[in-house]
Amino acid sequence: MYRWFLSLRYLRARRTNWIGAAGITVAVAALILILSIMSGFLQESRDHLRGNLGDLIVMPNQDYPLSDGLLPKTDEASLMEIVRANPHVRGASMQMAWYGMLVPDSKSSLLKHPVFGDLSLIHLVGIDVPDEYGASDLRENMKPTEDSSSFQVIPVTDPQRPFDPPPFYRPDGAPKSGIILGAQLAAAWNLHPGDEVELFSLGVDPITRSIEGQGCNRTFVVTGTFRSGENDMDMERVYVDRRALADMLGRTTAWSQILIKLHDYEADKVAAVSTLRSSLAEGRFVHPPSGNDESDYFRTEVRTWEDLRGNLLGAIKNEKSLMGIMLSLVMVVAGFTVFAILSMMVSEKRRDIGILTALGAHPSGVMSLFLMIGCWQAFLGASLGALLGVLGAVHIDAIETSLSNTFGIQIFDRSIYLFDHIPSVVEVTGVALIVLGAVTCTLIFAAFPAWRAARLNPIDALRFE
Amino acid sequence: MANSSDTSNANGTPGPDVILSGLGIRRSFPVGERSLEILHGVDLELGRGQRVSLMGASGAGKTTLLNILGLLDRPTEGEVWLDGQSAWSLTTQERARLRNASIGFVFQFYHLLAELNALENTLLPAMIALPHVAYRNKREEYETKAVSMLKRFGLGDRLKHRPGQLSGGEQQRVAIARALLLDPPLIIADEPTGNLDSSTGERVLELLFEEQETRRTALLLVTHDHRLAQRCERMVHMEDGLIQADSSHTMPT
Repeated sequence: MYRWFLSLRYLRARRTNWIGAAGITVAVAALILILSIMSGFLQESRDHLRGNLGDLIVMPNQDYPLSDGLLPKTDEASLMEIVRANPHVRGASMQMAWYGMLVPDSKSSLLKHPVFGDLSLIHLVGIDVPDEYGASDLRENMKPTEDSSSFQVIPVTDPQRPFDPPPFYRPDGAPKSGIILGAQLAAAWNLHPGDEVELFSLGVDPITRSIEGQGCNRTFVVTGTFRSGENDMDMERVYVDRRALADMLGRTTAWSQILIKLHDYEADKVAAVSTLRSSLAEGRFVHPPSGNDESDYFRTEVRTWEDLRGNLLGAIKNEKSLMGIMLSLVMVVAGFTVFAILSMMVSEKRRDIGILTALGAHPSGVMSLFLMIGCWQAFLGASLGALLGVLGAVHIDAIETSLSNTFGIQIFDRSIYLFDHIPSVVEVTGVALIVLGAVTCTLIFAAFPAWRAARLNPIDALRFE
Repeated sequence: MANSSDTSNANGTPGPDVILSGLGIRRSFPVGERSLEILHGVDLELGRGQRVSLMGASGAGKTTLLNILGLLDRPTEGEVWLDGQSAWSLTTQERARLRNASIGFVFQFYHLLAELNALENTLLPAMIALPHVAYRNKREEYETKAVSMLKRFGLGDRLKHRPGQLSGGEQQRVAIARALLLDPPLIIADEPTGNLDSSTGERVLELLFEEQETRRTALLLVTHDHRLAQRCERMVHMEDGLIQADSSHTMPT
């Protein structure tokens, strides 16, 4: 009984104990806050990195023959049939992807004073409209935005016919086909619906399969913009009608990849990838897996969007774990504080320890008395820290705003990430782990001084006043 | 050595009338590579209810003997029997419990816990003796006992005072109340008045003797004061780690 009673008394009697608890509070709160924000970033970034990618993407490799020496088949209808027959697939869309350059018409001042980097390569994507809406988030990303970002979406007039020129468009000659630009690209060139742009590209000789300086170009009319949230995509991608693109490039095969939406991505992704691989290989559209993981280049013919963005997602995950590790060092520092405070207390209470032993306390009792003081500090610090951390993570946006207003500087520039708020996701298991870790860490650091207290010789402790 | 071993049984186990018995106690401490022997084989036996004074010059080994008899220190050789149990054949747990139940310590420097008030200091042995729930059940009983004892000692209006707010005499009276709380059969007092002025010391001593007499508790009193030793029924004199004289006499009234 005296352990409880005395540990509380000692805790209250020494103000330094609150410093120990405060150290743990700061460590726990900081860990929860940072990891919540990193989780938020990860989640938000996943949404953004995904951009207009679907769940899966099929990119058959036409450069290598199959085992019988023939190239993979390219027949659109039977390929889509195989894909749509897969039970996991909800929607699929055929795309034609190519590269080119975009030049606005002469009214753009940028053309007269080009800035380095402005005339960069553009990712041309030819799509079929109702299919594409079912396989990617493009339809969502073409809706007007509601935030204060400088990259506002300008919606197309009729989403069901997005490549039809806007009604106010008065062509000089023959009516042009429509083009949808990434919001950042449109903003950079100051392009609006009705403006004409010229696409330049290189065609491929259908027989020699080589680029022989067959330059091609065509004028398109801007019909609207999209914003996926993924920086590169919004800066570099344009959508045109698939047939129009194939026509411009003079291709016979009017597709290069298939975008697929699954019914339940998280649950089915592994099964969907493997069933699609085998059924497409059976249909002679992709290469069968060789079984050798190291050299199996052809495995990449059916991929998830995460495979495509693996590096970036991995980087954020790495950052999160690195932050966790670094902030755990704060916890260790807090542990050292507890260690120092308890060691001081043990030295200071030598006489008390001697008295308790004389009155019949067992060394293990003395040890648990001091451990309990560490326990109280851990408990107080961890619970207060968890409370502050969770509150901070939930209200981080308001906190950042008021701090920014008070000090007159912008701490978090939302437009950089295209976030309208600071993302933060409080993970219950994460919080529980942090609290558990804090308590364990504190107890480990408290154990040594407590053990020293238990080993104290009562005679030495009682000898002198 | 008139009193030693005449109450012991043939096999060396002290009889039921003996509360404390030290048999052939030697204690040496390592000093560098050699060891220095402080006690050279001390036999001392205390009967129940006996009031014994232990005198001797500084360095005679009084404190060492007291620590051994109080089960705080282990003799290099010899045995300590307390209340019918051989102290060093017990586990540390059992020995701690024995010390808690059977010995009340009164120290020269009071040794109260600064964070606890007078009443809480008095209750400390009971808190150590009992686990949480058991203590809560008996708390009122102990509190009543402690309060009545402290009132009897003239500390009725000092119950909630911390040791720092009490005078030396008051602190020592709290220490005596603490030593008596669990009604141990033995009180070990190490110069209980050594740190008090003579009139305060006298009053504290009166109190200690009075309680000892009414409770028939054995008392081992270490003192430098010859007059004080005279007031004990038996005087033990130590010199150079041995008992030099052990005399009983009738108490002056």
